[in-house]
Amino acid sequence: MSRRARGERAAVHIAVILLVIVVLAPFLWLLQMSVKTQEEIFAFPPKLLFAPTFENYRALWDSTFRRSFANSAAVSVTSTALAMLLGVPGAYALSRARFRSAGQLSLWVLASRMAPPIAFTIPYFLVYRHLGLLDTRTGLVVIYLTFNLSLVVWLMRSFFDATPRLLEEAAWIDGAGLRQAFLRIVLPLAAPGLAATAILCFLYAWNDFFFALILTRTEAMTAPVAVVNFMNYEGWEWGKIAAGGTLVMLPVLVFSFLVRNFLVRGLTSGALKG
Amino acid sequence: MSAIASAGRARARAAGPGGAALERRFHWWCLVPTLAVLGVVTLLPTLYLLATSLTPLNLTQPATQWNFSRPLRNYAFLLSDGRLHGSLWVQLKLSFWTVSLQLLLGFAVALMLNLRSRTLEALRTVFLIPMVLPPIVVAIIWKVLYTPDISPVHWATAALGWPLPTLITHPSYALGAIIVADIWEWFPFTMLMILAGLQVLPEEQVDAARIDGAGPWQLTVHVVLPFLRGVLLVAGLFRLIDSIKAFPLIFILTDGGPGTVTEVTNYYSYIQAFNFSQLGYSSAITVILVALTVVVSALIVRAVGWGHSGE
Amino acid sequence: MRRRAFLKQTAGSAVVATLALRAPAVLGQAKPFAGVTIHGASFQHVFHSYLKEYIPEFEEKTGMKVDFTTQAFPVYNQRADLELSTKGSAWDFLNVTFIYSGRWIGAGWMTPLDEFTSDRNQTPPEFDAKDFVAGAQSSLQDAKGATYGFAWEAGAMITGAARGDLIEKAGLKMPATFEQLVQVCEATNGKDGVAAFVADKLHHWNWIPYLMGFGGRVFKDPPDNLTPVLDTPQAAQAAEYYANLLVKYGPPGLLSYTDDQAMRAQLSGRANIRTQAIGWMTPLAKHEESKVKSTTRYELMPGGPAGQFPGSNSHGFGIPLGAKNKKAAWAFITWAMSKETLRRVSLEKGYAAVCRRSIIDDPAYRKAMTFNGQDLAALYLKVLELGGKSGYMKYRTVPVFPQVGDKINKAMERIATRQQNARDAMKQAQAEAVEELKRGGIKLDA
Repeated sequence: MSRRARGERAAVHIAVILLVIVVLAPFLWLLQMSVKTQEEIFAFPPKLLFAPTFENYRALWDSTFRRSFANSAAVSVTSTALAMLLGVPGAYALSRARFRSAGQLSLWVLASRMAPPIAFTIPYFLVYRHLGLLDTRTGLVVIYLTFNLSLVVWLMRSFFDATPRLLEEAAWIDGAGLRQAFLRIVLPLAAPGLAATAILCFLYAWNDFFFALILTRTEAMTAPVAVVNFMNYEGWEWGKIAAGGTLVMLPVLVFSFLVRNFLVRGLTSGALKG
Repeated sequence: MSAIASAGRARARAAGPGGAALERRFHWWCLVPTLAVLGVVTLLPTLYLLATSLTPLNLTQPATQWNFSRPLRNYAFLLSDGRLHGSLWVQLKLSFWTVSLQLLLGFAVALMLNLRSRTLEALRTVFLIPMVLPPIVVAIIWKVLYTPDISPVHWATAALGWPLPTLITHPSYALGAIIVADIWEWFPFTMLMILAGLQVLPEEQVDAARIDGAGPWQLTVHVVLPFLRGVLLVAGLFRLIDSIKAFPLIFILTDGGPGTVTEVTNYYSYIQAFNFSQLGYSSAITVILVALTVVVSALIVRAVGWGHSGE
Repeated sequence: MRRRAFLKQTAGSAVVATLALRAPAVLGQAKPFAGVTIHGASFQHVFHSYLKEYIPEFEEKTGMKVDFTTQAFPVYNQRADLELSTKGSAWDFLNVTFIYSGRWIGAGWMTPLDEFTSDRNQTPPEFDAKDFVAGAQSSLQDAKGATYGFAWEAGAMITGAARGDLIEKAGLKMPATFEQLVQVCEATNGKDGVAAFVADKLHHWNWIPYLMGFGGRVFKDPPDNLTPVLDTPQAAQAAEYYANLLVKYGPPGLLSYTDDQAMRAQLSGRANIRTQAIGWMTPLAKHEESKVKSTTRYELMPGGPAGQFPGSNSHGFGIPLGAKNKKAAWAFITWAMSKETLRRVSLEKGYAAVCRRSIIDDPAYRKAMTFNGQDLAALYLKVLELGGKSGYMKYRTVPVFPQVGDKINKAMERIATRQQNARDAMKQAQAEAVEELKRGGIKLDA
């Protein structure tokens, strides 16, 4: 490689590493704040070497916060499972069949994602009042379908489009039925897509703030809302706020890291399929 | 892969076992639950929202719930509501700056990461972090960075002799502060999409242009960007739609203030609905907002052209 | 007879619990509310921090679990308003905020409490509902006089200076007029790294005494005539004056300060003067984290050319209409608002803003409320008296006040950040308020 090319490569590497530091810095700052005491947080210049304390975590891990975590987990998993169950077959049908209105359907799906959360929150809030679904996990699971179901259909359709029909046809020739071919041939092939989609659904559900803010109070409060609720309680005890924020983002980070390749695929497949 | 798929479709389609009719029925059975649930979950609430926007619904006065006596009253109010107009202007500014800067920054970083290097591929994962974080945590992170008492940024600038004013309470800088936070959170999204696009850019096109004597600048403008048009459109469109939904950052950082300089329409609607209980009026605002979003998106798609063969 | 009544408890009925609390001899017998959990909420206030310290004793005695959350003032109000509007059952007891009391009680969202107080089985005679100061209770009653809450705070606004020594060093006294306030701030700002003035961002509470001191008003004649009058020259003058205080003499980031942040600025000695309700002032002299215990000074709020109008309000505990565990909630309220508990909170913690006459008249209270030789109880009573006299606080309990208050907040923010001058900002606030009220169907003067 020419000298100039090598120099360019080095420059790019350095630039990217610097960028990585800039991107990570705010996130890391919150992490380190969560293990400092209140005084250390306010101290300027900030001490680089300090004994980390887990007091903040201990103090906020009370029953209310624990319950909010359980709520988040239950609601996210359930809504993901439901969305996948309902959406995957539909996406398959959309991909394989030749409906004339398929294009319009895609537009409707896209349009439903255009609405800000409040567009759904107002009617759901009013209806849930009557149905007694306010402050319930079920209520959240149902309203999460507004974004999860369309996401599943949108993403899985493009994954199925990329799975050649040849394989199903081969299976039919071998004597498999329609449903069997779908379950035994197509789904396993689309497994990366399924995983990516499920993870994205889980992510969106876990990270939701607005729906949970308005539609829950105490019983079904989810983790993101609990952190904010907590934020205003002791009036800006930064250590606890940082600890709360760290706990809320931990599952998401761990999960994303484990499946980072699938995640990238899931996000970019939309771009390539257009 | 798409070539194979379309080739598969171009061939005479071997019908599934049981014939074409059975296959069609199978597809219907797969689709009906999806459509039914989707319809109930999205279409009905939309109609309810529309209906509510035609009433003066206020929860302290139950009688207002189904009062359709003056259906267009809320919409008439919209026309004279200065605060609403202000919020639309703020939304315009926010969307313009965040989308354009995210595309720009994403493009620049994608170009850098497009080099074949193990290190760079590993580092790609790091960029995922800002966009998978719960938005509320992102808001908390930036609340910390913007609070003079505890912010390393404020400390650093003060130590260097250029003390920063409190950005989130400054009318000229509050929106900028939110824009910066939003860019930090979402440029990885555009970056990843553009990177995926760059990685399927055919080498031959680049080589051919180089042979013709194109420099890096011309390469970018005449070869790379046109190829990426579809990706840029989709990424930009997604970010535009998401920018209209902006909530956690505003909620935590500025509460729409100081004054109303960071109050976007979505946020104003929230205040009307859940601070003042004016659900009827808020519904009208939301309806208009959604309509505008759909129209603007459609216009953009038409103007730029939907990159690949039409959907 | 009480003991026999206690023993007659049935599986679902925990009615007699309150009696169990008053009769220590029954400790050790079955706990009346065992297995019951009640949820309650309020906005964050020092009183609740104090109360929470005693709650474990209550839980021990009754077997009840009390889940009591507090949030920042605007957040709590919004969530409570939303919850009450759905007649939901998420909370069994909650705080009836002063500015929302007209709205919540008027819309019928709260449980009337008279049937509880008149029920001997649920309310011990020592509770003595009449012991509560009438002025504080008035916002918690409807037009017919039925009671919906019991006041835990009468917020009487006074001046609290964390670093009174700086004022003395400058050769000045605690300000009695608006002019003197500016003089004092000018003379002491920045000394010792201390900002002369601090306030929280609830301008529609903090600023009104200044508005009235300059001769302005919020509404023409509440509660009958709700025409806003925010665009008068007096209002502009008052707004300019107050915004100047904030901008020139406040610490950085002041405009985003919550109640607690402003108090902590004083507690840590970073800020000096604040004019706020007495409940936020006593911690300066009593809180364990206070660095300014010995230098704190108190005084009546300064007055303006039109007179002295220190703000006073009251907040109380009430029971939402849709609450599931009303009896348990009532048991909690009678304990929390009992003479015994309130006495402990005021004497042990130095909480001044109690609303029970018996405690206020108690010499022990007077003694506990004497800080650095200053008689805070006298100040407190004076302000309560002033408020009751001409009823100048009536503007706050009209149901539409929260919307109008929001316009005032935004206007003050715009002035303080120099987006608009005071005249234009108040004109805009007036126009917005009028529009908002018209939208809500309120009749206004032409």
